[in-house]
Amino acid sequence: MIAAILRAQLLSMRLVAHRGAAFSLVTGLVWYGAWLFLAAFVEALAQRAGLPMLRTWIPAGLLAVCIYWQVVPILSASMGSALDLRKLLIYPAPHGKLFAVDVLLRLTTGFEMVLILAGGVTGLLRNPAIGGVRAAPRMLSLVFVYVLFNLLLASGLRSLLERLLSRRRLREVLVFLAVIAFTLPRLLLVTDVRIGGFQNLGAVIHFQALPWAAIGQALLGSSAPAAFAAVLCWTLAAGWFGRGQFERNLRYDSMAAQATPLSTEPRRARSWSERFFRFPSLFFPDPLAGIIEKELRSLARTPRFRMVFVMGFSFGVMVWLPLVLGRDAVRNPTLEHNFLVIVSVYALTLLGQVTYWNCFGFDRSAVQFYFAAPQPIVQTLLGKNIAALVFIYLEVLILIGVTVAIRMGVSFGGIVEVVLVVGICSLYMMAFGNISSVQYPRALTPERVSHGGASSRFQALVFILYPLALLPVFLAYLARYALASETAFLVVLALAAAIGGLMYWLGMESALKTIASGRERILADLSRGEGPVASS
Amino acid sequence: MSPAAILVRDLKKSYGSVAAVNGVDLEVPRGSFFGFLGPNGAGKSTTIRILTGLIPADSGYIEILGLPLAENEIEIKSRIGLVPDESLLFDRLTGAEFLEFVGRMYRLDRRTAIDRATGLLDLLELPNDRKIVGEYSKGMRKRVAMAAALIHHPDLFLMDEPFEGVDAVGARLMKDILIDQVRRGATVFLTSHVLEVVERLCDHIAIINHGAIVTAGTLEQLRSGGESLEDAFVRVVGAERQLERLDWL
Repeated sequence: MIAAILRAQLLSMRLVAHRGAAFSLVTGLVWYGAWLFLAAFVEALAQRAGLPMLRTWIPAGLLAVCIYWQVVPILSASMGSALDLRKLLIYPAPHGKLFAVDVLLRLTTGFEMVLILAGGVTGLLRNPAIGGVRAAPRMLSLVFVYVLFNLLLASGLRSLLERLLSRRRLREVLVFLAVIAFTLPRLLLVTDVRIGGFQNLGAVIHFQALPWAAIGQALLGSSAPAAFAAVLCWTLAAGWFGRGQFERNLRYDSMAAQATPLSTEPRRARSWSERFFRFPSLFFPDPLAGIIEKELRSLARTPRFRMVFVMGFSFGVMVWLPLVLGRDAVRNPTLEHNFLVIVSVYALTLLGQVTYWNCFGFDRSAVQFYFAAPQPIVQTLLGKNIAALVFIYLEVLILIGVTVAIRMGVSFGGIVEVVLVVGICSLYMMAFGNISSVQYPRALTPERVSHGGASSRFQALVFILYPLALLPVFLAYLARYALASETAFLVVLALAAAIGGLMYWLGMESALKTIASGRERILADLSRGEGPVASS
Repeated sequence: MSPAAILVRDLKKSYGSVAAVNGVDLEVPRGSFFGFLGPNGAGKSTTIRILTGLIPADSGYIEILGLPLAENEIEIKSRIGLVPDESLLFDRLTGAEFLEFVGRMYRLDRRTAIDRATGLLDLLELPNDRKIVGEYSKGMRKRVAMAAALIHHPDLFLMDEPFEGVDAVGARLMKDILIDQVRRGATVFLTSHVLEVVERLCDHIAIINHGAIVTAGTLEQLRSGGESLEDAFVRVVGAERQLERLDWL
């Protein structure tokens, strides 16, 4: 059964894999090469460290592994591969076997941590203070149990979140709460807010009943049976949680949860949203205005987009605020002065995943409408870019409000600056985005909040393109601080805008040529279904 | 100007070594209800996709409504109403919003698009509420697609399996609308696997097999031997065979 599912998935992937095999290989090598390097660093540390240092740092390291495995997929809204139960439920597959596949698939979101754990264990085995090769069976079995604990917990969390995030209205609130829960402790620590629990963070990390502390102690050879028992209890609990959530997902009807309630929305709210959707018609003629309006409506009703939009002004602020505030409550004046610009550009990059990097993704096979309708396709790309820009500036508007609310000191000049900078960065981003949207289109399921934006092989390229796209604006800020001159800043910014305009035009031309020559391929890519394992 | 609504000469389209359309010649008279039939994989959908400009042909000549397709793509598109086999619907819009959007894409002003959308929803018995298209049943989706094909009052309808998944009441409604459009001078070019539907609606028929037209003419010409359309179809595509049985089935 498991073999049949995995074979069906491999067969489903072969066309995509064949076309982008070289690119996937290179980006995979870069990404996992970096983690391998880090694993080698961990190995070297573990090999040379003394016992007291290991006692302190191993539980902390194992806690970090657990956090990465459980939290990062949620925060990045990219929860890896999972069984598409809608396609599998019709077969007489035992639920236990499906659950086993689901648990194994959690490796896709934490394989980096397997590398780090392997590095750490190798280092410990080579550390003469720990016990050498004789300790190998104990260490390997402990790490295996810890990996299993993380897989089971991740499976349960994913199932729970899939269900909760599919509920209308609830998903945005949950994302906001998750962001706060993840970033608030760091903010409180940095700002030196005295809350009892944070004064004893070390004690929490080293509390023996917790899995990372228990495993840490057992790895070092002390109180191994008790630690084993504690970890086994945790693993059994994670298994019970994971299986329970998986079973509930099997019985869950996400379509019913997402169904539109009839006439429950207040009339005033509807008219406000209508005004927002109709707003572009004041400035643009049809068919461009129609395309923009359609995009605004569609994106605003797409769960995945709404989640990223909420993250743009919540996660962004919570991540960057501690850096601005600095340790011991001493503010970093440079970061504070540019806080609004930083969080706005961060929001721009975040929204890229659900807008300009893969702008036809949510349209899927309906994209052929744009090719069948009598408007030139350039209008479609332009309309989609403008709609993305509307949301980006809406995000900026919210961020201005947030920045004022937390008293970061925003001047009128600062607001004008952020509007200009975001606009210029958008030119570069959308220039690359239009090319990627037609070169690497990927069908997305709007209802699935965990579904990624650009194709996986393009995700890695995005990490190279972001610095490139932001470089011209960065140079303007460099000129401001190196020459201590506002004029220099404005001159370089104007130059960046001119080059950005040229880049956007070139990007658009390139995308139009690709559409003209590769229309069939684009339609095929956007109409392609997935196998029994859905990836994000 | 050609009297034909669609004129196709030596149309070819290959995917690798497989010829999906292999030298199709076709003439669809204006004002006709034209049935385009063929077994699965014969090249029907590929031909329609080429006629709508969704995919390019490898070679051949196409004239639609008297205009060469290659030079007049935008003008021709604005006069075609399309119901394809795959969904052209944007799932996150309501039915009314989608129809208004389509109207504006076909150069109707917003007010007219809204009015026509409301009228079409009423005509096709579709809800005018906040329910988004993604939550519609298959039959409702086909009806919305039909409404979208009608909103700009086209001269030519290209329809790939328009009645698939539609209940009897909905299908009757859609057929009546199409018959009315033909009476008013429009041309309907449709594919369907339900031969009874084609037999009842169409006055002209062409059958495609292995990428080439194997027969074309009026319905009477095809049934000249007194046989049913189904018998004629099976004979023409050479699909007559004895039922084989599997031991275990």
